[in-house]
Amino acid sequence: ECVRSRNESKTINAAFQILTPWHELPPSLHKNPLHFLRLSPETSLSHPRATGQRDSFLLWPSEACAAAAGQRRVPLHLDCVRALAAIYVPGTRLDKHFTGIISLRPHRGPGVRSALIGALIRRLADRRSSPTRSHKPHPAPLDTRPATSAQVEILDAKTREKLCFLDKVEPHATIAEIKNLFTKTHPQWYPARQSLRLDPKGKSLKDEDVLQKLPVGTTATLYFRDLGAQISWVTVFLTEYAGPLFIYLLFYFRVPFIYGHKYDFTSSRHTVVHLACICHSFHYVKRLLETLFVHRFSHGTMPLRNIFKNCTYYWGFAAWMAYYINHPLYTPPTYGAQQVKLALAIFVICQLGNFSIHMALRDLRPAGSKTRKIPYPTKNPFTWLFLLVSCPNYTYEVGSWIGFAIMTQCLPVALFSLVGFTQMTIWAKGKHRSYLKEFRDYPPLRMPIIPFLL
Amino acid sequence: QTGALLEILHCAVGIVPSSVVLTSFQVMSRVFLIWAVTHSVKEVQSEDSVLLYVIAWTMTEIIRYSFYTFSLLNHLPYLIKWARYTLFIVLYPMGVSGELLTIYAALPFVRQAGLYSISLPNKYNFSFDYYAFLILIMISYIPIFPQLYFHMIHQRRKVLSHTEEHKKFD
Repeated sequence: ECVRSRNESKTINAAFQILTPWHELPPSLHKNPLHFLRLSPETSLSHPRATGQRDSFLLWPSEACAAAAGQRRVPLHLDCVRALAAIYVPGTRLDKHFTGIISLRPHRGPGVRSALIGALIRRLADRRSSPTRSHKPHPAPLDTRPATSAQVEILDAKTREKLCFLDKVEPHATIAEIKNLFTKTHPQWYPARQSLRLDPKGKSLKDEDVLQKLPVGTTATLYFRDLGAQISWVTVFLTEYAGPLFIYLLFYFRVPFIYGHKYDFTSSRHTVVHLACICHSFHYVKRLLETLFVHRFSHGTMPLRNIFKNCTYYWGFAAWMAYYINHPLYTPPTYGAQQVKLALAIFVICQLGNFSIHMALRDLRPAGSKTRKIPYPTKNPFTWLFLLVSCPNYTYEVGSWIGFAIMTQCLPVALFSLVGFTQMTIWAKGKHRSYLKEFRDYPPLRMPIIPFLL
Repeated sequence: QTGALLEILHCAVGIVPSSVVLTSFQVMSRVFLIWAVTHSVKEVQSEDSVLLYVIAWTMTEIIRYSFYTFSLLNHLPYLIKWARYTLFIVLYPMGVSGELLTIYAALPFVRQAGLYSISLPNKYNFSFDYYAFLILIMISYIPIFPQLYFHMIHQRRKVLSHTEEHKKFD
């Protein structure tokens, strides 16, 4: 890390982190140690030393250029530096004009900033320290084509320990390929578990990102974070849906030790209870079959702890609902058969709707791909809800559970619907937001989950 | 203590940087103890455990709000900071003991009066046993209390050693 400033008040300020090792900095920077405050890697812009007046680091033009411009120094704004970093290539005309050090007025995105500055300084260093290449870690033997291979070093995001150095990486390699290379040296961290990023506190890079297109120099420094043990979505879905199916039936058949002994293996005398069992079981069988044959997942895995959280939710609620519906003291709905018929109709319609949407979404994406497209209504009338809503599958799902709650007139079912609705609304809003971000021509009439309202 | 509900509002609106979930958890647990246990079960109000947690909470609040006030005035005496991050070591377990003993004392009266409980059969096919619920609450202290306690100890180490570093640096 280095800090440099020369302003009227002669205080040292503006601390930030550069990704260039000290010995790779241009020798001119070494000359005036007084001007450098070496701060620890953890020191950030919130360090007391760094607060107060912050100067831009000044990009110093060469003497000739400066004389022509009539000033000794030219302060440059971040956007300017960014533009320069984008076009700066060693050995070009621009190269001659810049001999000094670069710093920056602090802005958002420290990762981009320091990566850019690091890249720029490294290029300056390369240009100036070419006679002294001996201290470089991997001197290229008679190498005159740096563009055909890149080097990647991977550091731990928390300890900054060097975990891996990959040389001779194709510049057009994707992050996915780099992850595979990393796994070879550290087999316990399979690719699904790796999060690689440009900045230790920044966002994770996507598998499809290409190394060349990232704002890095010839040696890219990536920070690694372990995402923890991962489990596949399919496994999680199958487990969390098989549970309620099985658990409900335990209560339906009044297995011993749930209700009093005189009720063991008896059956309820209310038709609605039998109907409820059929509906509930049908719902979860449908979900299991959809997981196996219909859904196309964009992510392969999720963190392992999710399976415990999800299963507790689904299994817990299933047991709670099933307990009351199949209880010997169950009270059937107030409005009798009328209420049950209406609610059953709602349930069936919503189940068909939910299934239609899943099929429509599946047809949107070819097998094995991760393409994202705007879903549109098809010939199936159930899909016409796409005109009004971004996530009609969630709408139909809530509808099904409301139907089930009315049919059984059971408060725990209503509470389960409410909690489910809350969670699905959060998901729908997120999905809606990402649709809006990704597609300019997204239909404006659509709401996330409830037509016109939510 | 009920006024502390405003703290949740402040976090939700954003004028205080704490997490809404954590703050609501803390405030709701206190509000629950006051209204749903101590106020609802009159017989428990003369217990010593009530005195225990009231003292613990009161002392904690005095120090905590002084800490916030001085921080806002940008003039935080080290004593207040020290007190906030040290006295909890005694006050927190004291408060928790008071709370648990109060709930325990309330149990027989809840059972007797069937307080806040509803049983089958009823129109909405729902039942709730407040007695069992209180026991569950007491059990939940077992995983939650150590986590919060050690979080505070960790915070203490961070904050108090940072101040020393600061002083040395200056």
